[in-house]
Amino acid sequence: MENKTKIFLVDDDKFFLKSLEIDFLQHADFAIETFATGELCINHLSSCPDVIILDYHLDGFDKSAMNGIETLDKIKAAYPDIPVIMLSSQDKIDVAVSCMHHKAFDYVVKSETAFMRLQKIITTIFHYNKMEKQLNWYMQRM
Amino acid sequence: MQTTTKQESQYARSLIEASLDPLITISTKGKIMDMNQATLNITGIIREQLTGTDFFDYFTEPEKARDVYKEVFAKGFVIDYPLTLRHKEGKLTEVLFNGSIYKGDKGNVLGVVIVARDVTEKNRIAAELLEAKVFAELATEIAEEARNKAESSTLIAEAAVKSKQQFLSNMSHEIRTPMNAIIGFTKVVLKTDLNDKQKEYLNAIKTSGDALIVLINDILDLAKVDAGKMTFAHVPFKLASSISAMLHLFETKIQEKNLTLVKIFDETIPEVLAGDPVRLHQIILNLVGNAVKFTSEGKITINIRMVKNDAEYVSIEFAISDTGIGIPENKLEHIFDDFQQATSETSRLYGGTGLGLAIVKQLVEAQGGTITVKSKLREGSTFSFVMNFLKTNARTNVETDITIESQNPINNIRILVVEDIALNQLLMRTLLEEFGFNMDIACNGKIAIEKLKANDYDIVLMDLQMPEMNGFETTEYIRNKMNSIIPIIALTADVTTVDVEKCRAVGMNDYISKPIDDKLLYSKLIKHLNHKDSEKKINLQQKNALQQAKCIDLKQLTQRTKSNPALMSEMIVLYQEQTPPLISTMKRSFFEKDWDSLSSAVHKIIPSFSIMGINEAYEHLAKKIQDFSNKRIQTEELGGMIVQLENICQQACNELEEELNTFKRNT
Repeated sequence: MENKTKIFLVDDDKFFLKSLEIDFLQHADFAIETFATGELCINHLSSCPDVIILDYHLDGFDKSAMNGIETLDKIKAAYPDIPVIMLSSQDKIDVAVSCMHHKAFDYVVKSETAFMRLQKIITTIFHYNKMEKQLNWYMQRM
Repeated sequence: MQTTTKQESQYARSLIEASLDPLITISTKGKIMDMNQATLNITGIIREQLTGTDFFDYFTEPEKARDVYKEVFAKGFVIDYPLTLRHKEGKLTEVLFNGSIYKGDKGNVLGVVIVARDVTEKNRIAAELLEAKVFAELATEIAEEARNKAESSTLIAEAAVKSKQQFLSNMSHEIRTPMNAIIGFTKVVLKTDLNDKQKEYLNAIKTSGDALIVLINDILDLAKVDAGKMTFAHVPFKLASSISAMLHLFETKIQEKNLTLVKIFDETIPEVLAGDPVRLHQIILNLVGNAVKFTSEGKITINIRMVKNDAEYVSIEFAISDTGIGIPENKLEHIFDDFQQATSETSRLYGGTGLGLAIVKQLVEAQGGTITVKSKLREGSTFSFVMNFLKTNARTNVETDITIESQNPINNIRILVVEDIALNQLLMRTLLEEFGFNMDIACNGKIAIEKLKANDYDIVLMDLQMPEMNGFETTEYIRNKMNSIIPIIALTADVTTVDVEKCRAVGMNDYISKPIDDKLLYSKLIKHLNHKDSEKKINLQQKNALQQAKCIDLKQLTQRTKSNPALMSEMIVLYQEQTPPLISTMKRSFFEKDWDSLSSAVHKIIPSFSIMGINEAYEHLAKKIQDFSNKRIQTEELGGMIVQLENICQQACNELEEELNTFKRNT
């Protein structure tokens, strides 16, 4: 359990959250924790997730809830190194750009291929992290 | 012994004398010592005078000759040195100079023996050959060039013909669109309160407009026939009534000119024939129109008789005779050419472009017929053509007469006009509102489909050529994807290419060509609206049947969960819990105009469609609702779209309930 990659899934759409969780559990060996709100996710950041997948619209049901961008900002403020992938059912450039400005690692549209893309992005994140570590190791020896 | 020597010496001498090449011996001092007959011939100087003179004096370039001569002494010989000998009368002989020294008994050099070969002829031939060769090469080059030129000219000519046709076709089309608007609006204005002058002017505009449309159609027709794009219908029609209706059109004109119209119709011709009545009209209209135009007194006879009647076909001859100006004999053979009239004065006196007969000929021949003309100047002309028609047992479905049934005024009719050109939209609006119908306009097929989904219409008037989605594609979508049987009438600007078959094939009910005749439009609308009452019932049944089909498809979910019923149930329950509140939020926020809530509620519902395998059209619908609410566009449509979404989600929930029950029973 300790060695597994830990992923936080955050979405107030329980239905989609469940389907995503099923996808992750069925297709890859991950430790998954799901949260219905941004607040719950932030409260659990101390358990150090490797990747957070965060919905853009967290205030769809509850208007007073923290929205995706706010949650993202809070995560980045506390743990700038945790990569966050934003999810949205909206295929809008400006939404995607705004997520990038708030230091999201990537932006994925909720569709049939969403899970595939998430998988690829997660692989990329690890690849990238590994390269960064190697680079640091070499830099230290230079 | 001595005799023998003498004989030998004589023999050698005669050989030398017989040589055609000049042979000369020269002393060490350069003086000629001996020569043969050839030398005398070539220089034209007698032996006595030559002997003892300077050898090089007889060459055109003595210096060069001296050099050669010196070379012989130096080297002992010289081979093929080119020089030119001069005849005393000036004639030049080119020679190749060969020489070698000869020595005495003691080895001392006595002189030089020279053979000068006459190469004038050889050089001349060589020069001629060379010249011939150069000429031949030049000729080939010229021929090549000419061929290239011819080839490129052919290409250019072909391209020119093509672009001419394209240009004519495009131009005609471009001209016709505004013309339709001009004529249409003129008709509309004519119906308003006008004084006599205004009416007269407007009538003039309309007449000119009509004439222009006829011309444009002619040009288009010709271009189409030229390009082999003309298609012919094979529909059953009544020949007799069709001809009568057509001749009717000329009544006023004939009365005005005080002519007599005689119609002779062969009664043995079958009542219903299969062919292209529109083209037949066009042919006869042209011929009778010409007859009327070029006749100032007398009569016009239309004689229609059957010339052949076999099992499948009947051949019918149509002869149109007049007592008009006639055609001069030398012009008869060109009368069917494009832009040709019998004399150049003809167009000045009688007008016209000279396209009519060209089109007639093309139309007749393209349908396998033949056309002939007989004429006598100042006595009249007879144009006759023979065409084959298929026999048929079918009933006619072409309406020959237009009656406006207004027995029961139809109220609350909603018409959707799908038309991209603003002027035409306005024209349709004016016409339809005048009839007392309600109408909506869609600029292209896509918008039309949205409107059809959101609202109820009684009939669709559909332009065929539109951006985004043309009339054919739209109709196909309406018929196949939406399963709607709403009557669709095609509006077409292009009568010549309109493929009535294609319109029917995609499921259109009827068509009407532009410029739109308001009476025809009305009668067609009424006809299809009357039909619709009975069809509406079927429509309703179909709708019910459609709704009984499942809207969900759990294939994706099964795949995702690897057929784990527990996971599937969990998902279904979540959907059922979450969806109804979202829908009610959507409805509530729509009524409260809370666009942000509407947007985020619909946003949340979007991913569920694909997971539950609901037709992606609904996902697009949801996205559209989101778009509308983001842009704060409130339309009637939006309400309709939300209701559609509610219906489908309700249906999905019901179906999922059943699935859930099945899982429970199985576990």
